[in-house]
Amino acid sequence: MRVSAQAFWAPKLGNQVSEYEDAFAPRPQVVGKVWDTCRFAIADGATETSFSGIWAKQLVRALCRGALDGSRFSEGLHAARERWSRLVGCRPLPWYAEEKIRSGAFAAIAGLTLADSDQSKDQGTWEVTAFGDSCVFQIREDRIISAFPFEQSGNFNNSPVLLGSTPMKDGSEPTELPIRCGIWRKGDNFYLMTDAIACWFLKELEAGKTPASELFRLSGGTKGSFEPWLSGLRGSCAVRNDDVTILKVEIEKD
Amino acid sequence: MPYSAEISRSNPTCFLFLIDQSGSMADAVPNSPSRRKADALADAINRLIQNLVIRCAKEEGVRDYFHAGVIGYGTAVGPAFSGALSGKELVAISEIGNMPARIEDRTRKIDDGAGGIAEQAIRLPIWFDPVAGGGTPMCQALALAKDVIQRWIAQHPSSFPPVVIQITDGESTDGDPSNAMRSLKELSTQDGNILLFNIHISSDPGATPIAFPDSPAQLPNAPARILFEGSSVLTAFMRSIANAQHGLNLSDGARGFVLNGDMVLVVQALDIGTRPSNLR
Repeated sequence: MRVSAQAFWAPKLGNQVSEYEDAFAPRPQVVGKVWDTCRFAIADGATETSFSGIWAKQLVRALCRGALDGSRFSEGLHAARERWSRLVGCRPLPWYAEEKIRSGAFAAIAGLTLADSDQSKDQGTWEVTAFGDSCVFQIREDRIISAFPFEQSGNFNNSPVLLGSTPMKDGSEPTELPIRCGIWRKGDNFYLMTDAIACWFLKELEAGKTPASELFRLSGGTKGSFEPWLSGLRGSCAVRNDDVTILKVEIEKD
Repeated sequence: MPYSAEISRSNPTCFLFLIDQSGSMADAVPNSPSRRKADALADAINRLIQNLVIRCAKEEGVRDYFHAGVIGYGTAVGPAFSGALSGKELVAISEIGNMPARIEDRTRKIDDGAGGIAEQAIRLPIWFDPVAGGGTPMCQALALAKDVIQRWIAQHPSSFPPVVIQITDGESTDGDPSNAMRSLKELSTQDGNILLFNIHISSDPGATPIAFPDSPAQLPNAPARILFEGSSVLTAFMRSIANAQHGLNLSDGARGFVLNGDMVLVVQALDIGTRPSNLR
């Protein structure tokens, strides 16, 4: 399969780029790369926690390495936590930062794996995983084929379950990540989105609109359409002011 | 829609605590005869301020999502921060975080992971010291709060409305506070009227606590009904926090009012009252 991927991202309006706490991987744009198997991931670090951007980066790194797959999940999560602890604990901090580290960082994650086991065919398999309110959508010619983990905008709330950088004692920690599998066809697009923009996407669908066509037209860079498009959505309150990440993955037609 | 303003560094909100420092606050906490109410309350306020600072702490420091202040009323009525913040009414949370009067070494009990309890050493920053003396000049305290909040709103007209939380163990000794509470609650930003909580602490271990009622029907006396009427209806977000994180089942009309609360209920009410919405 030949795959292209591009991320569109922005910090909260009023925040600096350095304050962006989402993460995505792979980081560089992918253009027409041929793969048998490839992985993509996003994570959304929680604003009320500290060092959540660093935690989000550890999680997308782990997802893209397959370290959180199936029964490897607990071991992979433990390794990501150790890495986070090393990164945030390497310098002296004021009392409040120390206390904040003790309570941990939190993030939502979503990952996509594409596999092309029989290259003579125009289709292959996909597997998505998510924990929290970051979402993955499969789009075919403006039509939504699958949505995971949320299928309705009403599923979003102010208290999503999140993965913590310190073990959760309330029993909410999963032993494996939930997954969904399906079939892709050449020409399909997948969009991995953090919550604010994913909620907008589902609301648009529920209103009978075709938000996929808007996403398909997005272009990045300083002269691209993404920033003015997002500004418009934020200005009209169609999108909540939050960090926004859209990772677009396209399986190209021959 | 009211109570929907984003809380950010450019659009912060504020919390003002009105603390009863009358002589009766030297009485013991119900079910804990060796501990004065004033001491228990000072600990609760210091922990709350600590939590507010921690909520705003990010990698680069403390973000000024909040301004906060403490007004004490007893022998005197006025700002009640100790140390370097002494005399200040409302202070940016980053300044509060960086200027505790002192940091005390305490211990806290934690789960030892093997079915037992272990003691963990912690550092507790102190901003507010216990005081107990004099009467309960609640009307004066509410009037000062109105003055402080009015000035803050003039500088932050589009902010999420300030939250004022009064904690008392008794009845006002300088008159009926109804008008002062009504007058305070009439203050508003473009996002809605200010929110007033009244938390009443009991000295009587046999008294029945009532938390966040939606009607005065079950209240035992006129002073309790006055505090109920003076308390604001909780916002939808505060109710969602109360129900989801504190296991309560509050109705739409639930008010920010606690009668005969113990310290657990006081801490719970303080948490609910200082969770106006998510931060940006």
